[in-house]
Amino acid sequence: MDFEASKKVMSHEDYKQMIPGHALSALDAAEDRMLAHHLVECSECRKEFDQWQETVAVLALDVAGAEPSPQIRERIITQIRAEKSAGQTNVISFVPSQRSVWSSLGSLGAIAAAVLFAALILYALILWRENRTFRTEIATLKTEIQTSQVQLDRKTKLLAMIEKPGVHFAELKGMPMAPTATAKVMYDASGHAMIVTKGLPAAPADKEYQLWYIVPGKKPMPGKTFSPDSHGEGMMEDQVPAEAMTSAVFAVTLERKGGASSPEGSMYLSSGS
Amino acid sequence: MQPEQAQTNDVELLKAIARQDETALGQLYDRYRVILFGLLVRILNSREEAEDVLQEVFLQVWRRAADFDENRGRPFTWLVTLARSRGIDRFRSLAARERVALAGSREPSEEISDAVADAFRSEQKNLVTTALSQLPEEQKQPLMLAYYDGLTQSEIAKKLGAPLGTVKTRMRAGLMKLRELLATKSASFGF
Repeated sequence: MDFEASKKVMSHEDYKQMIPGHALSALDAAEDRMLAHHLVECSECRKEFDQWQETVAVLALDVAGAEPSPQIRERIITQIRAEKSAGQTNVISFVPSQRSVWSSLGSLGAIAAAVLFAALILYALILWRENRTFRTEIATLKTEIQTSQVQLDRKTKLLAMIEKPGVHFAELKGMPMAPTATAKVMYDASGHAMIVTKGLPAAPADKEYQLWYIVPGKKPMPGKTFSPDSHGEGMMEDQVPAEAMTSAVFAVTLERKGGASSPEGSMYLSSGS
Repeated sequence: MQPEQAQTNDVELLKAIARQDETALGQLYDRYRVILFGLLVRILNSREEAEDVLQEVFLQVWRRAADFDENRGRPFTWLVTLARSRGIDRFRSLAARERVALAGSREPSEEISDAVADAFRSEQKNLVTTALSQLPEEQKQPLMLAYYDGLTQSEIAKKLGAPLGTVKTRMRAGLMKLRELLATKSASFGF
């Protein structure tokens, strides 16, 4: 949104509608900047903003309190003592002096220069903060693009698999360890398989989920390992063993990182009844 | 959110801090560390990050106590606003780098001690919790996402799959209802 163009068409009432969002720090960057400029000019809206801030602040009382480490208090006191002692070394004693008219004019000039300098510093600070905001937004967008790309790649692969003729499907249901989790296994005539999971809890750092092919009367055959993303969604490609192509039950267990040769961890998903 | 006497003392403490009185800062820290740290842990879901930000907040209080204007609001509001603002800034900067790692771990911390939580089950806390429970879920949810997760209205609309205008309306309506509920329950909220 063009800032100057938007500013011209925004009414006082429009700004008032934005104030609660501003108090929650929930406005988008452009709106936030516009309202911040308006608040500088409008005392009525500033007062209303202060009132909304009071309302928003009470939400903090809905959170359970927590005790920080005792070292934090010590660190704060140490830091402010360091700042105090650094400040004291810069103290200049005040000596009253007789001033002429000309020196007063000189002082006025100095004050004007100081005000101008402070304004420039303030402007630079605003630009720096905006720059920092934009950098954060760009970093966020890049991450979102990467995430979207990964999801797109997954969906493309899934679509390609589904469109193959004679694809077999098996549905896996969540076991007591993850009752709401679900998964689907698809594999084609060549044994190329894909498993797609939803709702699995995040695996601990030293563990991974592992797919198993279980054929009655035989030892469970290990598949590859995988880790779901932060939403519990995961996808993995594997090769179905020849013995499991016709009558396998599929299961997923949580195993040590890298996988196990026979199941040792808890079962999270199974296609068995 | 504090009794009238504590309010007065808070203002006096901030005036003393503005005069570089470190004892006053210690007293203010002792009075608010638990609630502010609880808030920061809730936002950041990390004791380590929350402690780091808590330290920044009180250093900011030390440097900016003279900026506090009692005509614009209460010390409690000023402190919570500072802490939340710093906490959200930290969360957004962490999330930009570690969005995937953090996205699935936004549940309240389990490390909060019951004893401390009990100490904060004040009448006013109960009033806030009760008032929040009376908000319709459609109004409460966007408020919580903004307040604790630091999401903008656009991000909330995307997350909830709702039109942006609807989210804005619900957030505003939710805050207005919250203010009305608190105002009718207790004069000490000062609305």
